[in-house]
Amino acid sequence: MYRGRLERDLGLWVEKGLIARPVADGLLKELDSRESSFSVGQFLVILAAVLISAAILMLVASNWEAIPRLVRVGTLVGLIWVFHGAAALLLARGRNGLAAASLIMGTMTFGGAMSLIGQMYHLSGDASDMMMAWFAAAAFSAAAFRSGALAAITGFLAWGYFISLGSDFDFDWNLLPALVVPAMALGVMGLVYYTKAGKVRHPAYLLMLAWLVWYYVSHDSVPTAILLAIVGAVGFLLSGLPQSPLYPAAKRAGAAPAFYTCLLCMIGLGLLHIEYDESMGRLVVGVLTMIAAVTSIAVCGRDNGVVRYLGYIAFAGEILYLSSMTVGSIIGTSGLFLVSGLVVGFTAWAVIQLEKRLAGRAAEVKA
Amino acid sequence: MTRFSRILLAALAVCVLQTGILGYIIGSRAAILRSGTEILLKTAPVDPRDLLRGDYVVLNYEASIVPGSAIVGPQPKEAEKAVLWVRLAKGADEFWTVREASFERLEPTDGNVVLKTLPFQFYPPYSDSGLQVQYGIERFYVPEGEGKALEQARNEQALTIAARVSSGGKAQIRSLLMDGKPVYDEPLY
Repeated sequence: MYRGRLERDLGLWVEKGLIARPVADGLLKELDSRESSFSVGQFLVILAAVLISAAILMLVASNWEAIPRLVRVGTLVGLIWVFHGAAALLLARGRNGLAAASLIMGTMTFGGAMSLIGQMYHLSGDASDMMMAWFAAAAFSAAAFRSGALAAITGFLAWGYFISLGSDFDFDWNLLPALVVPAMALGVMGLVYYTKAGKVRHPAYLLMLAWLVWYYVSHDSVPTAILLAIVGAVGFLLSGLPQSPLYPAAKRAGAAPAFYTCLLCMIGLGLLHIEYDESMGRLVVGVLTMIAAVTSIAVCGRDNGVVRYLGYIAFAGEILYLSSMTVGSIIGTSGLFLVSGLVVGFTAWAVIQLEKRLAGRAAEVKA
Repeated sequence: MTRFSRILLAALAVCVLQTGILGYIIGSRAAILRSGTEILLKTAPVDPRDLLRGDYVVLNYEASIVPGSAIVGPQPKEAEKAVLWVRLAKGADEFWTVREASFERLEPTDGNVVLKTLPFQFYPPYSDSGLQVQYGIERFYVPEGEGKALEQARNEQALTIAARVSSGGKAQIRSLLMDGKPVYDEPLY
């Protein structure tokens, strides 16, 4: 991804005589030497660890009688010690990739051991409790070893807990689980920050969004949707406007803060579309959405690719929606296609104008 | 502390914590099996009938329905996550049946046990037909491929469960009987 683009651009700059070949080679070498850079070998080690973990979980699920169950429990507990011990030794020798794989297998084995015990004693109906214990153990381990790989696992386990709420309680809004889900999301964000594993923060952000939508579904809908839109908009402006006190911190975190707050705002506005589907309300919500889309492009469109696409999609979607609902019902279906065509053409023109302005601003900055 | 001993300490802490959690679950379950009060429960057919989830049989009991007439004491006024305390006593035919139930804690007395249900979403008020509840003993894990026969027996109502109940109201399956004969006896560990 980034490396491929960078290599191509560097080649272009060398060709144009902007930089010398040794400089380009040096830049690429520096990128590859970073610990966070992608390595195929490393990636395969993690994949192997996930496969072996899955094998352990499946062996448990098969309830294989050839091995007495006490031996099965004993083996799994033994494996937990072996995997964590091996991780410690590997970390001490600087073999960080293998250590991460070993830690993943240790945490997965713990989950397998818990489901084995659930099977031994025929426990039923408490999948969410089990997921919570698994998450807690994984989070503790991630913090103790300062492991980014385990921080990623906690992100998925937090999602596992959220999904198990569906099977245990049909997603009924209850105080304890409703507090645990955002606490887990914040915990994962904390671990991601502490372990410097920025790449794996997205499950936590998405869980936060899912939690907010869950809140909307189980509560008074209109005020909640308005609240989501406002919180999203305020968060977006705080992370996207250079004047904001949070701007430097958000900028360091990359494209994510502005994107997810923008997405939250759009989700809130999208939900309002369901609430207000009569002519006036629809018009107001529609205009607000278009304003939000244009604002998001204007504020972050130049530096933040994902926000730009989100803004474009929201803007174009809104215009298509409005033209099919309000205008369509007035002048009939035949006229709808003509109007939609004109509207989409206008959209294209407006977007091109915006892009030109962005390019112009970039040129000014360079000059 | 050197970096190596710090890492070793982390590994030790993680292993002790995880082993401790596993040991706690095993210990609490074995304690119920060892010293709980034994009860015999009749199973009821499950709808849909074919609900073998690969590795366990879904169980449903006659005691899983608590009739409205058996519920005593106040009920929650708003919809909320609630638990029922259900008093069971032995009937004429050796099987234990629901005698009374309450949203507030009941204490077992001589000759009966009190089971605490799993939390469920309660929408007041309850009707005479009663409430469907779960006790956390609704699964029986079997080795792969052995579930079909049990499932059929369950649907013919030939399956009974012997369970043990702790003083705190937790139930633990001890034995599974087909036509009155034990098929699976559960060891403590």
